[in-house]
Amino acid sequence: MNLIEMARRGDRSSLNELFSQHQRYIFNLTLQLTGDAARADDLTQETFLMAFRKLHSFRCQAGFRTWLSRIAINLFRLEFRRKPKHFSLCLDETRIPSHQDNPERVVIKRELQWCILHNLQQHLPAKYREVLVLRDIHHISYKEISEILGWTMSKTKTCLHRARQMFRQQFINNKCKAFADDYLCICEGILEL
Amino acid sequence: MNCTEAKALFSEFYDGELNQEITQAVKEHLADCQECKEEYKNLKKSLKILKKLKILEVPRNYVSFNQER
Repeated sequence: MNLIEMARRGDRSSLNELFSQHQRYIFNLTLQLTGDAARADDLTQETFLMAFRKLHSFRCQAGFRTWLSRIAINLFRLEFRRKPKHFSLCLDETRIPSHQDNPERVVIKRELQWCILHNLQQHLPAKYREVLVLRDIHHISYKEISEILGWTMSKTKTCLHRARQMFRQQFINNKCKAFADDYLCICEGILEL
Repeated sequence: MNCTEAKALFSEFYDGELNQEITQAVKEHLADCQECKEEYKNLKKSLKILKKLKILEVPRNYVSFNQER
């Protein structure tokens, strides 16, 4: 019997193990969608609580990650509708200092993290952000993205294409140009983009 | 294949989602068209930037369910 089946039969250690395997993914997914660690924290907690309550309704035809992702994205959409204009980006939550990094690299990495999140939050509509995060950060297949977002394969391809074009334009050409220009010329060499 | 057709396929081309025949047509267009080549290069660069976004560890454990369902 696999973990999912055992969890569905009420085995708590299997449930905890199953959820533990996905919590890092769900936290990062919600962080990238909201750009806010506190909201990601809340959404992750709500996702697992809802999954816990609805585990009996999980159909094994869908992958477990797909099912959890769908719950997280639906919660994000609900919250986004309630508070569409609230954005709060926190550099402290996005930096990854490493003892191997010299101070200059740490600063550049922090700026890069901030710039990516800023672009995702401020310059992409939610549906483009969703598809871009799932594909280009979490490397999820077109088929699974379609299942998570409830889209046809054709819509997934079209939205991903538009999302990538928009991200490219925003990041390099348009509203973030001053920031990105300054930033990219430094990063080209150091981060070997 | 013209520029409009090629540009519309960049995303799937990048992911290797096109069939062999269309992939070859996009490659040939990119080899001949400097403007599209530059645009595709910029697209790849921006997606490479996106991949630099770090995956963070969770700030706490979310999944200790001991209560009865």
